[in-house]
Amino acid sequence: MADEHAIARYRHWYRKLLRFYSRLYREQFAESMEQTFNDLCRERAEAGEGLVGFVLWMFAETSAGIIRENGRSIVMQNQSIIRIAIGTGCILLVPLLGNLFMGWNWPPFAFAFWGALLFGTGLTYELVARKGGTIAYRAAVGVACATGFILFWINAAVGIIGDGPVNSMYLGVLAVGFVGAFIARFEAHGMALALFATALAQMLVPVIALVIWKAGWQDLLIDPNSPHPPFDPGIAPVFGLNAVFAMLWVVSGLLFRHAGDPRSKIRGEV
Amino acid sequence: MANNKANAPLTPAVLHILLALSTQERHGYGIMKQVESDSQGKVKMGPGTLYGSLGRMIDAGLIRESDKKVDPKMDDERRVYYKITGHGQKALAAELERYREVVAVAREKRLSPNAVIYGYGR
Repeated sequence: MADEHAIARYRHWYRKLLRFYSRLYREQFAESMEQTFNDLCRERAEAGEGLVGFVLWMFAETSAGIIRENGRSIVMQNQSIIRIAIGTGCILLVPLLGNLFMGWNWPPFAFAFWGALLFGTGLTYELVARKGGTIAYRAAVGVACATGFILFWINAAVGIIGDGPVNSMYLGVLAVGFVGAFIARFEAHGMALALFATALAQMLVPVIALVIWKAGWQDLLIDPNSPHPPFDPGIAPVFGLNAVFAMLWVVSGLLFRHAGDPRSKIRGEV
Repeated sequence: MANNKANAPLTPAVLHILLALSTQERHGYGIMKQVESDSQGKVKMGPGTLYGSLGRMIDAGLIRESDKKVDPKMDDERRVYYKITGHGQKALAAELERYREVVAVAREKRLSPNAVIYGYGR
């Protein structure tokens, strides 16, 4: 009789422990698990063996199962996020190895900054590409994300036009892409237009910088203490590099246009 | 997709559960007792391991839930019974065939468990 009371109490606690499983898992197995726990306790009590140690083992075993199942569920639901995190980690291994073996000097802030930027770019790709579901759409998002990342990277590292504040205009180029994408609600035709507008904005930057230079506002172009000339590395290279970026934006826009065209040959489902 | 995995190796827990269900459908406690008996007490599963494995086996199409009914040998609670599927039977047969092949290789090399442990026959 005393055992019956103890088993009922343990079963009550076990039911509470099972609440730590996910709702789906609980709906499928919680009742059966509780019954099995009860059966095992009764078998133990009928054999005249102690219950406390056994119940503790059952609680530990089930707790391990809860951690395992919840971990598995998190991994299943966030596989793409984990993939991006692993990719980011792998890329950051390069400067880490550089620091360790080649005398590079990446500060911890640089790891955090570039890690966040790489992870953010990957996450943006994953979230936006999910909305299209076609090869062309995913390729378009991939080209746009890669172009945006490289543009930001070059600017943060050295600057495209000299090293003055004029380079912050490139943030405006990225903003055109982002705002356009949100206005288009990530719909393929609208995204194509947003990317063509981004390409245009990209080519406007060196034109505006040239006007600034000719107007004589050189402080905007180059740091006063810099040894470089104001329109470093020169008009042709600056326009050439911007043209490359503009072309990449256009390629992305054309891919979006294909993604929205029902006759396109590269529109197949992923 | 399930058929493609019919020949994939099984984990020890899955193999024991399939063996337990190969003769008749059973509820969770029944599976545990059968596994314990089949393995002469060497394999003991708690509910966390058992039901985690059952969930994955259902997802893989190896077993399925049968009716909910009362076990006449136990109390009057209604229990979910589990049943092996055709795919589960194929997976079990493939695993047992793998074991037979391993044993055949061991026999061919005249290895006995003692020889492996004590290094006889080297």
